[in-house]
Amino acid sequence: MSNEIAFLAEFSDGSPTRAALELAAGAAELAAQSGGAAVALAYGPGAGGAAELGAAGATRAVVLGDDASPAIAHAMAAAAAVRDLAPLAVLAPATPNGRDLAAALVGLLAVPAFGPVRAVRLEEGRLRTEQATLQGAVITVSEPTEGAAQPAVVLVLPSTFTPREGGSGTAAVSEAPASEAGPLGAARIVESHPAEAAVANLEEAKVIIAGGRGVGSAEGFAPLHELAAALGGAVGASRAAADAGWVPYQLQIGQTGKVVKPALYVGCGISGAIQHRVGMQTAENVLAINKDPDAPIGEFADVFVVGDLFAIVPKLTAEIRRRRGL
Amino acid sequence: MVCIKQVPATTAEKRYTADLRLDRAAAEAVINPLDEYAIEQALRLQESGAVESVGYLSMGPEQAAEALRRALAMGGDDATLVTDPALGGADAWATARVLAAALDKLAPDVALMGMASDDARGSLVPGAVAALRGVPLLSYGAELSIEGAMARIRRLTADGFDIVEAPLPVVASVTDQVGEPRYASLKGIMSAKRKPMETWSLADVGLSADELHGAAMTRVVEARKPEAKPPTERVENVSPDEAVTRIVDWLAARKLV
Repeated sequence: MSNEIAFLAEFSDGSPTRAALELAAGAAELAAQSGGAAVALAYGPGAGGAAELGAAGATRAVVLGDDASPAIAHAMAAAAAVRDLAPLAVLAPATPNGRDLAAALVGLLAVPAFGPVRAVRLEEGRLRTEQATLQGAVITVSEPTEGAAQPAVVLVLPSTFTPREGGSGTAAVSEAPASEAGPLGAARIVESHPAEAAVANLEEAKVIIAGGRGVGSAEGFAPLHELAAALGGAVGASRAAADAGWVPYQLQIGQTGKVVKPALYVGCGISGAIQHRVGMQTAENVLAINKDPDAPIGEFADVFVVGDLFAIVPKLTAEIRRRRGL
Repeated sequence: MVCIKQVPATTAEKRYTADLRLDRAAAEAVINPLDEYAIEQALRLQESGAVESVGYLSMGPEQAAEALRRALAMGGDDATLVTDPALGGADAWATARVLAAALDKLAPDVALMGMASDDARGSLVPGAVAALRGVPLLSYGAELSIEGAMARIRRLTADGFDIVEAPLPVVASVTDQVGEPRYASLKGIMSAKRKPMETWSLADVGLSADELHGAAMTRVVEARKPEAKPPTERVENVSPDEAVTRIVDWLAARKLV
């Protein structure tokens, strides 16, 4: 058994995803404690250029495949690479693709799975993970049982680790051991439909202005977009707003949408149902504006303004523009 | 075959037992809400004639039979419960191993699941079951369709959607975009009582407790309350201008403007 820390590194359009850069930093941190190396398991379009992950923290990179097939198609190659490496842990992003590939590893290797976690660390060589339960009412700390098979597969929430900046160096790249994709490779993307308009990347936004049922219409999102622009942020939404067709589903935050961790989250006309809350409960600062004084969001926001968002948000935008000299 | 899980209702107050497991006996139990979407998708496929029959499979304590009865009240034909004292506290791998073994026996064209469970939230079981059974996975479908020997899903991507297809049999998981789950009718509730339900032990699916590493390779070592947050500052009964001043002061104090 080695002390390596492996991580799933997804590439898209020729570059590592934000999640890959976060996990590279996290794996490097853990590897420094375990005395091993941070090893990327790279897949997706552009994964051939995984050497660049060296600047992000990876010592080595194993390329599983650089085509655009569904992530789980790389499962047999990933399992072969993990058997070769015998790492202490495999970090995986808690994204749909990351979860699929991590799940296949759990099934193929009969290993313990953790997460989605908000912290992972080594304590005297033992892996410890920290997870919030659904309501965030309890934090649980978990570890592998005595004698559990290795590696531990750990799903990591977005923004748990911060990508390194200004790093340098290259990762030593190797190909994954030869393997057949098998039945897991039989699922194929037969059509791709990109959105007509660019969709904001909520996972990377430092400021998110989210709208819910109280926004009332697609047009009602206009003042939210203006506030987002004034603060240099992005617009998100609750499921109610996405279901109503006011915004694309890619902007939905919550259990069945994105999990976000911005420095500032502003919820406008959002009640704060538990399904939404699990997508934003780790935001650093939460401001809520809602007409309903009993909205559940009032129980966990830092500041809860009871009032009409259409009266308040445009004035707020104007004041922020004034202060910023915009 | 729709795989469903009985979970504590999100409205129920959660308690932990002395060994830090969720005290499932203390909370109202429901069908995992995202599994209801999988049920709805399956029933729509049956109504359109794309599939002949819809069955349900659950692994859990004996009370999980209630969840299966509720599913049968929504529609479908039969149900199977895998229950065994050795399965208490099963982790993702053990759950997937048991479901995969049961599915090997049931041999459905499609094993359908909700994209996540309310209590575990790893979304790992569909992919692990697919890997263990050696069949393709179609995950996070906003819609599932079946044409001949192929299953296909519409799957959201970062900036649009893909159509992904695979030859049957498959494991598929669906999101809450497949359509709102129907309510059970009174007639449905009555007829559910007469629909066949089988109960299988671990041995019935050809597994032993030893093979499952005692159900879990993970354990909770600590459960605690999260760091206390300062109470919410409420801004009420003020003019929009006053509200804006208060908001901006707060943003400035947090160095956000």
